[in-house]
Amino acid sequence: MGYSAARGGIDAIEAAEKLVRHKRLNADCEWVSPEQIVGRFRLAVDRVMGEAGIWDEQLTAVAIRQAEGDLIEAVHLLRSYKSTLPRFAYSQATDADELQIIRRIVPAFRNPPGPQMLGRTSDYTGRLLELTTEQAGQEESMLLASLALTQELDTSESPASIEETQPRRLLETLREMDLLVDRRRSDDPEPFDITRTPARPPASRSARLSSMARAETGALVNQWYRNILGPDGYVHEVTLGEVRHGYLPLRINHPLTGNAISIGNIRATEVEAIEDLNGIDEQRDRFDIGYGLCLGHNEKKAIAMANLDIACHRDNGRSQLEQSLLLTTDGLDSSGFLEHLKLPHYVTFRSMVERKLAVRDSKNRERAT
Amino acid sequence: MTDLLNELGAEHDQKQFGILDEYSKREIRRAILTAVAVPGYQVPFGSREMPVARGWGSGGLQLTLAVISPSDVIKVIDQGDDQGVNAVNLRRLIVQSTKVHETTTASEASIVQSRHRIPEDGLDEQHILILQVPVPEPLRGVERDMRELARMHAEADYSKMWVSLYEDKVRNGVITQTTGYPCLVNDRYVIATTPIPRWDIPRLDQSPFLTLFGAGREKRIYAVPPYTPVTPLTFEDVPFEVEYTPGANCSQCGSSKSFLVEIPGPASRWVCSDTDWCERNSGKAQ
Repeated sequence: MGYSAARGGIDAIEAAEKLVRHKRLNADCEWVSPEQIVGRFRLAVDRVMGEAGIWDEQLTAVAIRQAEGDLIEAVHLLRSYKSTLPRFAYSQATDADELQIIRRIVPAFRNPPGPQMLGRTSDYTGRLLELTTEQAGQEESMLLASLALTQELDTSESPASIEETQPRRLLETLREMDLLVDRRRSDDPEPFDITRTPARPPASRSARLSSMARAETGALVNQWYRNILGPDGYVHEVTLGEVRHGYLPLRINHPLTGNAISIGNIRATEVEAIEDLNGIDEQRDRFDIGYGLCLGHNEKKAIAMANLDIACHRDNGRSQLEQSLLLTTDGLDSSGFLEHLKLPHYVTFRSMVERKLAVRDSKNRERAT
Repeated sequence: MTDLLNELGAEHDQKQFGILDEYSKREIRRAILTAVAVPGYQVPFGSREMPVARGWGSGGLQLTLAVISPSDVIKVIDQGDDQGVNAVNLRRLIVQSTKVHETTTASEASIVQSRHRIPEDGLDEQHILILQVPVPEPLRGVERDMRELARMHAEADYSKMWVSLYEDKVRNGVITQTTGYPCLVNDRYVIATTPIPRWDIPRLDQSPFLTLFGAGREKRIYAVPPYTPVTPLTFEDVPFEVEYTPGANCSQCGSSKSFLVEIPGPASRWVCSDTDWCERNSGKAQ
């Protein structure tokens, strides 16, 4: 009892809350600070910031800790916190060309204009579980710290020259080679704000892109993989043009002077996916480009997003791909609704049982006549 | 700049009443006004993330927080029960963030937030009933494409729904739609009735109270204003049926004129789903 029909719901809830809080705060091990979570679990922090649509590493670390590592729960904590805050200002649109790269790869060419720069990646590292002792790990950590202090170890992430930090994107080169469908538009529509207006098909491209930018990473990866082994076939033959990770400046207009001022940087992952057009109504002598951009370092998400962006454009409303992207990829929507099945449903179930018996009665009456 | 932000922040903190910021409340109220003006029409709104998960009453909670004022008295039920775990949690959030009074007695309340039931007590003009909606689209069972759904509602083209009800009747001998029975509101829009049981449907028709439906996850608000016709979709020669089990009556208060739920077991018995009403009804009997 205590779950539903019984009295004393509040006592049961408070006891459950107390148990969670007690076990979380009083775990039999060392306390974890937000700094440690940001420093040691940066990809989890980045993923949560992207899905929450909020740039604040410290706050995100606190959310991950409170959620005991359940990343969707951490996203929920951050988004509902955001609901309590009024909007003071809107940032200016930032040109993605301003992205200062700390990682960039171009799979489409061996020697593209600008650098191929691996940066901080474990893509080419054997996935071997490091079974060193805790003591050895800590000793290595201290050694590296002292080397970094004496600058014997180069751990700077940024390249030196401007050509190297902000290289021209491959798209420009493809345009010069006259290999791209030109989809540039002359107008400059206001971006669709998915947090204020629910996006429904048919939606603008900005609505689709921002929905995917906030989508749950696994949901987007799955939407993409359905094209490979599942029932969908929207993605044809995609080659990645750009995979970038770097810093973007954030500017707002000063509320008093009206002048643009920089209020800091955010990190973002940006991907361009080149699609080999093969449809009978398409320009089959050219390529087209899909775009992905999300907060933090999250390449899986940005790649899936870029693939699905071009897939959705090519689908052009023929299927319900757009509806899937807009409405089924949000982590809070899907997991919240899934978990709601745990709520009491005995009123609806009683109604179902009653109809089952009504069908049976009706069949029996039929047989009798 | 920082000073200005702090100033704005301080102003905001003072004004905060009920979790949502004032701009969000205003936006939700506007959507409510549209919903009342066009009964049964699903009004899109910028549903906020709440401290409860989507699917757990986030839509109902936003409606309550948008319409509530300090003098209101709130009753929250889940399955008809004030002590259901999620009802308790929602009530606690509302009361803690607004300091309004709470009650379990429907007649003392001004706002009733509910999942899956309308209280057995007759609500009247003083009440706003707020229903939590998991799936606001009544036609989803017959059509999945949202573009087509928008067209069907716009043109009041409910033919697929009628065909589906007809096929149901032909195949099964009865209409098997259980809860959330589709109803025509004000002779114009078909709505999904939350899922409240069919038992509660006649109580929406020409009701003196305002009913607001909030679907947080799907970002839709719709309304049945007071004294509005609500007609369950059925055929002239197929009467609409509410839940009924011959011989069943409440093992606590003896009622056979309330919505009953079964307690299964060797000696199966029935109890009222509206626990507060049942308690008062038992008192009367003694």
